[in-house]
Amino acid sequence: MAVAAESARPHHTLWGDAFVRLRRNRLAVAGAIIIISLALASIIVPLVSPYEFDEQNLNAILEGPSHAHLLGTDGLGRDVFTRLFYGARTSLAVGIFVQFIVLAIGLPIGALAGYAGGRVDNLLMRFVDVMFAFPDLLLIILIRAILGGSIYMIFLAIGLVAWVNLARLIRGQILSLKQRDFITAARAMGGSGPYITLRHLLPNSLGPVIVLVTFGIPRAIFAEAALSYIGIGIKPPTPSWGTMIQDGYNNIFGAPYLVLFPAIAVGILMLAFTFLGDGLRDALDPRERR
Amino acid sequence: MSTVLQVSDLSTHFHTQDGVVKAVEHVSYEVAKGEVIALVGESGCGKTVSALSIVRLIQEPPGRIVSGQVIFNGTDLLKLSRQAVRKVRGSEIAMIFQEPMTSLNPVLTIRRQMTEALEIHRGMKRQEALDEAIRLLERVGITQAERRIKDYPHNFSGGMRQRVMMAMAISCQPQVIIADEPTTAVDVTIQAQLLEMLHNITKDLDTAVILITHNLGIVARYARRVYVMYAGRIVEHGLAQAVYHDPRHPYTEGLLCSVPRLDEPRCVRLVPIEGQPPDLIAPPLGCQFHPRCSQAQDQCREGTLELVEVAPGHYSSCRMARKE
Amino acid sequence: MLKYSIRRLFWIVLVLFVVAFITFSLMHLVPGGPWDREKALAPQVIENLNKKYGLDKPFYEQFGDYLWNLLHGDLGVSYRYQDRGVTEIILEGLPKTATLGGIAFLIAILIGIPLGMAAALKQNSIIDYMSVFFSTLFASIPGFVLGILLILLFSVTLHLLPTGGWGGFDHIIMPAFALAALPAAYIARVTRASMLDVLRQDYIRTARAKGLSERVVLVRHTLRNAMIPVLTVTGPELAYLITGSVIIESVFSIPGIGRLFVQGVQQRDYGLIMGATLFYAFAIALANYVVDVLYGVVDPRIRYE
Repeated sequence: MAVAAESARPHHTLWGDAFVRLRRNRLAVAGAIIIISLALASIIVPLVSPYEFDEQNLNAILEGPSHAHLLGTDGLGRDVFTRLFYGARTSLAVGIFVQFIVLAIGLPIGALAGYAGGRVDNLLMRFVDVMFAFPDLLLIILIRAILGGSIYMIFLAIGLVAWVNLARLIRGQILSLKQRDFITAARAMGGSGPYITLRHLLPNSLGPVIVLVTFGIPRAIFAEAALSYIGIGIKPPTPSWGTMIQDGYNNIFGAPYLVLFPAIAVGILMLAFTFLGDGLRDALDPRERR
Repeated sequence: MSTVLQVSDLSTHFHTQDGVVKAVEHVSYEVAKGEVIALVGESGCGKTVSALSIVRLIQEPPGRIVSGQVIFNGTDLLKLSRQAVRKVRGSEIAMIFQEPMTSLNPVLTIRRQMTEALEIHRGMKRQEALDEAIRLLERVGITQAERRIKDYPHNFSGGMRQRVMMAMAISCQPQVIIADEPTTAVDVTIQAQLLEMLHNITKDLDTAVILITHNLGIVARYARRVYVMYAGRIVEHGLAQAVYHDPRHPYTEGLLCSVPRLDEPRCVRLVPIEGQPPDLIAPPLGCQFHPRCSQAQDQCREGTLELVEVAPGHYSSCRMARKE
Repeated sequence: MLKYSIRRLFWIVLVLFVVAFITFSLMHLVPGGPWDREKALAPQVIENLNKKYGLDKPFYEQFGDYLWNLLHGDLGVSYRYQDRGVTEIILEGLPKTATLGGIAFLIAILIGIPLGMAAALKQNSIIDYMSVFFSTLFASIPGFVLGILLILLFSVTLHLLPTGGWGGFDHIIMPAFALAALPAAYIARVTRASMLDVLRQDYIRTARAKGLSERVVLVRHTLRNAMIPVLTVTGPELAYLITGSVIIESVFSIPGIGRLFVQGVQQRDYGLIMGATLFYAFAIALANYVVDVLYGVVDPRIRYE
């Protein structure tokens, strides 16, 4: 009996497939490159720069871009170029650390709600409803006003508001996955709740979680910039793009470049994250798989 | 019997990221007035694509009807303008689709979905169309039609939705109905009812039916002639009786052997067809089926195959079949 | 349908209650109390002030009083502007915030939906690419940054528009656009995605198979289904418009509730903060409620919940 099976298409895994598709998406790749470059620059520039970020030079205030100061100086004679990249550190740090908090709180709560169902789920969802009733920026501002303190408190303030989205997402994912046959099969084989959650449910929910976290970073950056802009964010002299924008705004007629650079910087970074997030979402969408 | 619809040498390709998928290659079939023919084959063999090509419902891009003719009442449908084809669709050639759960618009009432075809193809006014729609629903066995016509699709069960689809299909008294796997997504008991209903209605109206299915049992009962498709081509066709009793292509044989039969002892194992369906981007040379065929010879691996009459009215593309 | 609406209404009232409670508690958790000024006040003065505002009463009593006043439409007193009630202050700011939000919403819909539809219908054309590009761009840039850039362009460089304040068309156009940019972009994206999704559905194929014209397929069959996800995001977008206005009002010096809120936070005016927060929560709840009801109108499937 002649049986050579006709070769089927080459074997693709979900992640391999997604990675290939991501690479093909030029915007996403551009976004990733921008982010990485900025991250590297934010580390290197303050180290190699001839100026400290808080080094004041009252003889050279509000000067436009020149050879000495690539992007000019601000109202206290500080070098904008150095401060801009130091501020990148702040923004990236906020973006990323907040996601850790979001994952640490949102993941277990969402998973619990989704898997346990019943009263636990109900309780958690009511709580989520209440949190959604608050305008998030307002809540962040309020919490920040209460917590005061250092940059870590800012992470916390933003994180405490942002985890709710992730919890809702995970819960939704788990709820729909719970019905699927492969979960019933796992249970039939004697898998316990935590085992099934960790080993089956969460890994399968990973796709949308990655996308949400990627989009969460620019949202956190925005929140920090907003907080700093209205004066309750990062305390000077530490540069933050938000405070730099506020500074710039106050000097907008005299030194318009001062507001331009951090504004463009914020825009570019957030754009890069959006491209990346979009790319990830398209790459991981199971419907797009062939 | 006069031929009502004739598909000649139809080829439809899809341009994808991985290459060109030759979904339908040089397919020809025809159906006469009042006749029921069946298109059989595995999922993915091109049956549905060929049917959609007839009424030009192929998305272009990525699809493209590359060659062929579809002669209906003397006109080649493939050469008509889009507007002209639209007049034919739904009124002269109607379709019944496979998935009752998703084939009806969830936000429109059944009434709206039934009367729209009546209004544009038969020029009926509102009240007239409503009455006719109610009559049609009753015809397909939906009780309390007057009340139920105001409902939405989600108020109906799968079987009932298929009846609605059937009612929509016959509403403009078409000459041809293309039924694409009309009962695949429905319970077995409902299947029988639906098919009987379709059979009766089309007999009354003398409608030609192209029945697309992978269920050989249905074919045996309802179709007069059958076309067997594999990898986008017709590999065998003839009277259903002839093809079933004397299959002349290893694929057809394989299909028939893999169906459990009531007249065989129960402990006989089902014989599946080994292997996988071919990749339509780079199909095997020669006969598409040869990699899975137990009787493959050297001559099967090259050249192009033609359908040859191996018995009166019975055609096969298998070179081995000609020997007899 | 009626039962559904009533249940939702009841739910909203409950949520607002919890919001009030949480905000109230938060206010009392802030270190430093409401009387912190640069020059510390004498303890006797503080004690008197506390007595005057009932701040020395136990927590639950204060909250009870507050709720009682709330039900009478009295949002309490401002600790900063001691001669005016919070309700009065907020009502002053309301028209400005409402106008700004309303106009921004209109802009967002009038640009977002048609753009999304055009992009979906002419996929892979110039319109599609441009709309995707612009919507991504404007969805990324924070509203207040955009506002400042607009000021930079139109006020500082071109001297065409004022940098802020409130008065007429001139004063509202930049902040409205800055505020509308993100929702417009988002609505365009969702509309496009939703249209594409609906156009792929089986029932659209059925409609075409019936021989209906493209126009009918589009208007009668596609649009209503496509608008459902768009409606879903309208709720959060309205919430964004309400919250986003907080910073935008500060940037453009618009005397609306947002700016009052920010000032309240900067000046530790608890009464004002509470009042503004409650107002916002109420506005969001109302917006979501309206969206929910509209949902029932558009999608018959959920009417029989």
